[in-house]
Amino acid sequence: MDGAPVNLDPAQASDLYTKFLVVNLYDTLYRYKYLARPYELEPNLAEDLPQVSPDGLLYTFRIKPGVRFIDDEAFPDGNGRLLQAEDFVYSIKRHFDPATRAQGAWLWQGRIVGLDEWKANGAHYDEEISGLRAVDDRTIQIQLIAPFPQLTHTLAQGFAAIVPREAVDYYGREFAIHPVGSGPFRLSRFDSAGASLLRNEDFRAEPFSLQEEGYNPITQGAFGLESLEGKILPLVDRVDIEFIAEDAARWTTFNAGQLDFIKVPVSQFDQVLKNRNPPQLVDELAGRYHLLTSLESGFVYTVFNMDDSRIGYHPDPDQAVRNRALRCAIIKAFDWKRRNEIFYSGLGKVFPGVIPPLTPEYDPGQDRNSVTRDVADAVSLLNNFGWNPENLPTLEYGLPSSVTERQMFEQFRSFMSAVGYPQEKIRPLTFATYGDYARAYINREVMLITSAWTMDYPDAENTVQLFFGPNATPGTNTANYNNAEFNRLYRASSSMQASPLRTAVFHKMNRIVIDDCVAISGISRTLVMLWNRNVAMLPDREFVGGYFFRFVGVTDTTDREH
Amino acid sequence: MLGYLLRKLLHSLLLILGVTLVSFALMVYFGPDQTYKLLGKSASTEHIQEIRQQLGYDRPFIRRYGEYLGDLFTLQLGASNSNGEAVSDILKRTLPVTLALLVPGFILGNVLGVALGLLAAWHRNRWIDRIISSASIAGMSTSFLIIIIVLQVVLCTPYGLNLFPARGWQVTGLASYLNYVTVPSLSLVLITLGYNTRFFRAIFLEESGREHIRAARAFGASPAQLMGRHVLKNSLPPLLTRVLFSIPLVIVSGSLLLETYFGIPGMGKITFDAITNGDQPVLKAVVGLTAIMFVMVQALAGMSYRLIDPRVS
Repeated sequence: MDGAPVNLDPAQASDLYTKFLVVNLYDTLYRYKYLARPYELEPNLAEDLPQVSPDGLLYTFRIKPGVRFIDDEAFPDGNGRLLQAEDFVYSIKRHFDPATRAQGAWLWQGRIVGLDEWKANGAHYDEEISGLRAVDDRTIQIQLIAPFPQLTHTLAQGFAAIVPREAVDYYGREFAIHPVGSGPFRLSRFDSAGASLLRNEDFRAEPFSLQEEGYNPITQGAFGLESLEGKILPLVDRVDIEFIAEDAARWTTFNAGQLDFIKVPVSQFDQVLKNRNPPQLVDELAGRYHLLTSLESGFVYTVFNMDDSRIGYHPDPDQAVRNRALRCAIIKAFDWKRRNEIFYSGLGKVFPGVIPPLTPEYDPGQDRNSVTRDVADAVSLLNNFGWNPENLPTLEYGLPSSVTERQMFEQFRSFMSAVGYPQEKIRPLTFATYGDYARAYINREVMLITSAWTMDYPDAENTVQLFFGPNATPGTNTANYNNAEFNRLYRASSSMQASPLRTAVFHKMNRIVIDDCVAISGISRTLVMLWNRNVAMLPDREFVGGYFFRFVGVTDTTDREH
Repeated sequence: MLGYLLRKLLHSLLLILGVTLVSFALMVYFGPDQTYKLLGKSASTEHIQEIRQQLGYDRPFIRRYGEYLGDLFTLQLGASNSNGEAVSDILKRTLPVTLALLVPGFILGNVLGVALGLLAAWHRNRWIDRIISSASIAGMSTSFLIIIIVLQVVLCTPYGLNLFPARGWQVTGLASYLNYVTVPSLSLVLITLGYNTRFFRAIFLEESGREHIRAARAFGASPAQLMGRHVLKNSLPPLLTRVLFSIPLVIVSGSLLLETYFGIPGMGKITFDAITNGDQPVLKAVVGLTAIMFVMVQALAGMSYRLIDPRVS
């Protein structure tokens, strides 16, 4: 993996790497089908999809029978006990207990009857919550305050993994490094360099079914998955994961034959790919490895801090109009084609607005003006609204300290030079770590904020909420954008089930963000993945994520040297 | 000798107080704020306050510093804010790995540095000296990263000799230890040898020019006697100073690149992660213990000077 988790507590599984491990060590009620694209929800620990009341407020879940936590000294006799509905209730409650330092409460905050009040009353675990309860050992009921169609998606997140209370009590804060779950694997090693997962021998005996997982023989036929049909999950006894953040070290280790799978560093794309469209491996690698290029679910984008009157909202309506023209000119001056070529090897997918290509609501036919460079138009906008080199504001561009980030800033500055923006008026605000950068933009101290959003579930609600007024910082709306019409549409859509009508609402919201020139957006990066031909799998870093480990099969072990 | 030791001890205590105060102030006022690392994707003002309170950021500086000193002297190092693991356990787990990783390369790098320095000094301005000096400069000018990557490619991949693993630390005995430590050690030797050789050569040259060396040479002392008994022995104080003072630096910072590029779960990587994550309990322990280690090394160096040279008071 190109990063390292430091903590394996599901309540703190906010980053990709932690999630990868957590969903293998613990169970969640749902997951995404391994092979189905677009992504589809699939019951995991749940027996079936939930029963939902006609008003969309009451969800009932049944969990599979006979599921056990792994044996661990946290249990009175060292033997893992049966997982029960009450464990799910406990696991969600933990997110609302300040002592947990949980990072996933936002998924359910203000959604479940009585949950926020439970926290306000001191988070006593023995106190019941009317909207979150175990009806019996295998039945869970969730009562919502208002319809929340994405609820089932939230239960496929690492945050929703189910933990036993005994282990949390027994290990205290060290529970984060002593996972006790019921997932397909158990942890045998975890340090700053890597982790090893061993098969959980007590994992429920579920056979691999190509059909149930959404197999497509046309697009997935070359990966050797058919040989795994009917085998019991997980398919391998052991998974070794190396945490290698440095591109050069990851590539060397892969070349040394010590890794079966790698996400290829962008710097190596030229060495690996013979063709880009369609992507094709160079001949010397083609015989040894499978290749998959896959678009990320999220996207990279830059927002203007609308709370900054030099570029965003202004009490003087005329100045507010001029500021909008300035933002639009900057967007028009931005060259997405060059950005893609220089930093993403031309493999990224540039799209207008904030609904990225991997969401079901993405509109491939939409107007691409906002991502097409037009220097003449940008200059004319500046001139028409009275902007000149003397009165243009100094742009403060935030970035965490790294060579790539700095290069991106320099490229941005060169794009702006082309429309007459004085170089000295575009300043980098460099922060030593991402945490410092986050602190600055959460405190609204950065004018232009570039960040990447990783989607939590395949639903455009997860990206349009980035511009919902009440989500302003310290929430996810880092632009501090607040448009009444957008907010109204967001509220209206939040209780709508996925439908063409809701998609149309999302498209309207996307248009509003584009028209208000709030963001330079966006690009979804393409990941290039290689893995040994003797490994049958379809890797995924998006919604399936770490769930794919259980489906990995090794067809031949003879050429494994290390 | 007792008076000397007491003076050293008092001096050391003051030094520890100074170093810990400065480093703690840097951590608190300029270090990363872990609050924002622990927030997750979406936060509220209330959530931020909760975390700041839990991390103790809302308490007065002096109180926090006092507690830090107390913890340090009682070795109650607390738990990592990132994953709750006891800091003492983290150190127990990672320090032996780092020592096992660095000791062979460290010793070899210094011994070879001394040998090459002596050789170059003896052959001053002749072709052997020129070759050694040029190679040292080349070594000093080459990026650490390039040395590591080239050695990995040459020794650990099928494109080269493929003799050793490129990554890992699954040490179960002497054979596996040698298997995993060889390439990192070679890297460390190549990284440090240029600097060591240049430094030691300069010391030996200075010593070689002294009157008593010229006198010994006039009396017919052999090259081995001259360099070994006279030059090396009289150069020991600065030599020991450099070697001893580089120990804490090598342990804390020198191992970072090796651990990162060879996938070795040692103390350098833990320290680096603690710095970037703002994990203050880990950082405080490493900084405090490093300060103590420096002071101990200084005291050790002082005592060794007295043993080597009785004129030192």
